[in-house]
Amino acid sequence: MTEKQSLSFVLNGESREVSIDASELLVDVLREKCGMKGTKRSCDVEVCGACTVLADGLPISSCTTLAIDMDGRDVTTIEGLARNEKLSRVQQAFVDHAAMQCGFCTPGMVLATTALLETNEKPTDAEIRHFLRGNICRCTGYIKILEAVKSLV
Amino acid sequence: MTDLHAHTPISDHLEKVTGRAEFISDVVVPGMLHGKILRSTVPHGIIKKIDTSAALAMPGVVAVLTGADVAQLNNHWGPSLKDRPLIAIDRVRYVGEPVAMVAAEDERTAEEALELIDVEYELLPYVTGAEEALAEGAPVIHAKPEALKDFYFKGEAKPVPGTNIFQKYAYEHGDVEKAFAGADRCFEGRFEFPMVFHYAMEPHCVIASFHNEGLTLWSCGQSPTAVQKVLSRVFEMPLARIRIISPYVGGGFGGKASVKIDPLVAALAWKVRRPVRVCLSISETMLTARRLSATVDVKTGVRNDGTIVAKSVRILMNGGAYADTGPAIAVKAANRAIGPYRIPNLKLESVAVYTNTVPGAAFRSIGGPQAVWASESQMDEIASALDIDPVELRSRNILRCGEHVRPDLRPIDVEMAEAMDIALKEMTKLQSLDADAKTFGGTALGISDPGIMPVASVLMRLKIDGSVAVVSNSVEIGQGVREVLRKLASEQLNQPMHAIEVLTPDTAIAPFDWGTAASRSSLMMGLAIEDAAKDIRKQIADIAAIVFSAEPSAVRLCEGGVMIGNEKKTFNELLHSYYGIDSGEIVALGRVSPHSNGGRLAQAPLFWETAAGRCGIIADVETGEVKVKHYVSVADVGRALNRAGAEGQDEGASIMGLGHTLSEELIYEDGQPINATMIDYHVPTIDEVPENFVTVLIESGTGPGPGGMRGMGEGAILPVAPAIANALATGYGIRIRELPITPERVWRALRDKRKV
Repeated sequence: MTEKQSLSFVLNGESREVSIDASELLVDVLREKCGMKGTKRSCDVEVCGACTVLADGLPISSCTTLAIDMDGRDVTTIEGLARNEKLSRVQQAFVDHAAMQCGFCTPGMVLATTALLETNEKPTDAEIRHFLRGNICRCTGYIKILEAVKSLV
Repeated sequence: MTDLHAHTPISDHLEKVTGRAEFISDVVVPGMLHGKILRSTVPHGIIKKIDTSAALAMPGVVAVLTGADVAQLNNHWGPSLKDRPLIAIDRVRYVGEPVAMVAAEDERTAEEALELIDVEYELLPYVTGAEEALAEGAPVIHAKPEALKDFYFKGEAKPVPGTNIFQKYAYEHGDVEKAFAGADRCFEGRFEFPMVFHYAMEPHCVIASFHNEGLTLWSCGQSPTAVQKVLSRVFEMPLARIRIISPYVGGGFGGKASVKIDPLVAALAWKVRRPVRVCLSISETMLTARRLSATVDVKTGVRNDGTIVAKSVRILMNGGAYADTGPAIAVKAANRAIGPYRIPNLKLESVAVYTNTVPGAAFRSIGGPQAVWASESQMDEIASALDIDPVELRSRNILRCGEHVRPDLRPIDVEMAEAMDIALKEMTKLQSLDADAKTFGGTALGISDPGIMPVASVLMRLKIDGSVAVVSNSVEIGQGVREVLRKLASEQLNQPMHAIEVLTPDTAIAPFDWGTAASRSSLMMGLAIEDAAKDIRKQIADIAAIVFSAEPSAVRLCEGGVMIGNEKKTFNELLHSYYGIDSGEIVALGRVSPHSNGGRLAQAPLFWETAAGRCGIIADVETGEVKVKHYVSVADVGRALNRAGAEGQDEGASIMGLGHTLSEELIYEDGQPINATMIDYHVPTIDEVPENFVTVLIESGTGPGPGGMRGMGEGAILPVAPAIANALATGYGIRIRELPITPERVWRALRDKRKV
């Protein structure tokens, strides 16, 4: 076992300090130690995007990121998007377009879309497809997800 | 009058988009341990020795379960054939089979302990291919599997003792051989469909807990009552002491249907007498269930004008190490190979065999994509040989609504010609937009006879404040069943949507239902809700007669209460007067059985689930890569209760079909699955979605459910592969008969064509 380390980071706008093992993955720390269960675990190999969170506004796979690497950084999970019980505009678009089914990929997909629109306000269809291809959805066939994202452009 | 259908956001979507939706993998039961599974590394072998001592000595490890522990239990189970041990007992039959299981205080310890378990195998000869499994001298994987009659599906499997055959099915009408002899032309072909993986995003996860009241499972199973029944047999416990709770499930597509890891997790909990949670990794789910691969031989006899005179189909399915629902899948594959055509002489045969591979299982339209792939590819081969347009060939043979697919089945209840016509017209519009690169079109039709048991029930509880609890075992797995039930209850009771609560399935409170599969839940529960609402209306009329001397015929439900003639009484006024206290409820059970609705539900299939697909493709002749630029999917769904949700089902099924068409295949070499990880196994990503995708849902109102609805959600997967193969044949002159249509296969076919 590795020795305990202290992780200091900003999680959904709040400063947090968590005692962790150096080898712990971000997905586990977020889910088990920070209660952010909206972060989903699926492929374990950085292929599917279900575990996507934003680190300083950019999407990363928390299943293959060491939690300690988030020291001093700003992390946003799905729980951090809705403010004062009001959905973010990306969340609202996903609801309005019924752009989800089982919902397991939804947190990652919504976060990736949030990052896309933060970095590129008017992405083309090709840019949307390129940016979101790291997020797998097995239910929707992506059609309604594309509609939701395009409604924001 | 309030608009009952005013748009309210789908309730589970709000939970899901905020990350608050609780999936099984998010559930925490106090004091729970974590289980991890050690899996067989060999395809077939005798377990000579398992040494667990080092694992047991590791701090944090509570127990290790092996086959020796379950000797005193009724330790084999299966939904059709009782062939599967709880955990490997003395023998393993495929790479990935659970051999030992560790329970520890945390997941990491459990995982690390697996490495300390030492297993010694004596290797046995193995088979991974279905043809090999049938060959003389092939190792027999199960000597004499016991068939269970009416256990899950009606009827029983027909295994052949002493062979690897676990199901044999045959059907015939007319005289096929004579008709072939008299036909102008006969076409024969063999078509291959690979093993494919469900890849529901959420891996299988189960929590099991034995306690004073019995056994409770938080299960990802699509069929809670089937899980309950199997556990009852294994542990010899009364059904009433077994409780299955089904929170949101992160997709299933059949991979979580019937029963999967629940008995294994329960066995570990039984051993340690503490709650145990087991959450698989995706790589492990790939070793848990997959679609049955199939070799389909089709022969069709036609007249020169394209009229079909006879057809024979022989299907060989690879069912893997345990039969699961394979016997039913083999039967459905045969039926689904028929197609929506008039076939006066028809012969169907299917055989499913055991092999040393991951157990085959139900997967969206069981047996359908395998069968339709072959039949609809051959339709285009016939059209091409006779120089008839493929759509015209289909039109000449197509069944009209009300005609028989098979004389012993319910007549087809949709107009397939209409669906095909719409698909063609929509695609023509899309193709007219093609600029430089012209796309080539391909059509296919699919029809399936859903394996729906008309056995369902629902509890509806109308509370004194006008709120209504709908209690059922229909699992919310992404298909939107909770919202559909909400809408149906709202309609049937004439109450606003916001008054209806659909509860989390829990067998302790929800009445029996067969399961969430086979496009059945909206329809079956719709009928059950209709029945329950009738009972609620009757109880209310009786109560109004007692407390307000109302004529029962003058009482009708309105928002928040009843109208007695022109006077409104709230539910509170009604029940307060009736019970004498300001509390209470009305409870009604709605039930569906083969005897419901005057016996009209008894004949199979309850309805026909169908789809017409047309694609527009471009192939890169240098690389062999196929790009589907346009796709049109058309289906008569009777009535779409939640239109966006229904479209989403259709779109999802189509893109899933795109996966098995272009890239998906679980590959075995030397008895090992060599690509069972998400790095090596590619499912469609968003950049592969056709640029233009049109979904047309026909609402003919001709289904058997409330408002003329029928089930949906599976059909659209059927036409995708043959439509794309047909477009390749039309546009590039190559006929691919083996899925997936990889760039390599296309490139080789193009090269071979050039050589000729």
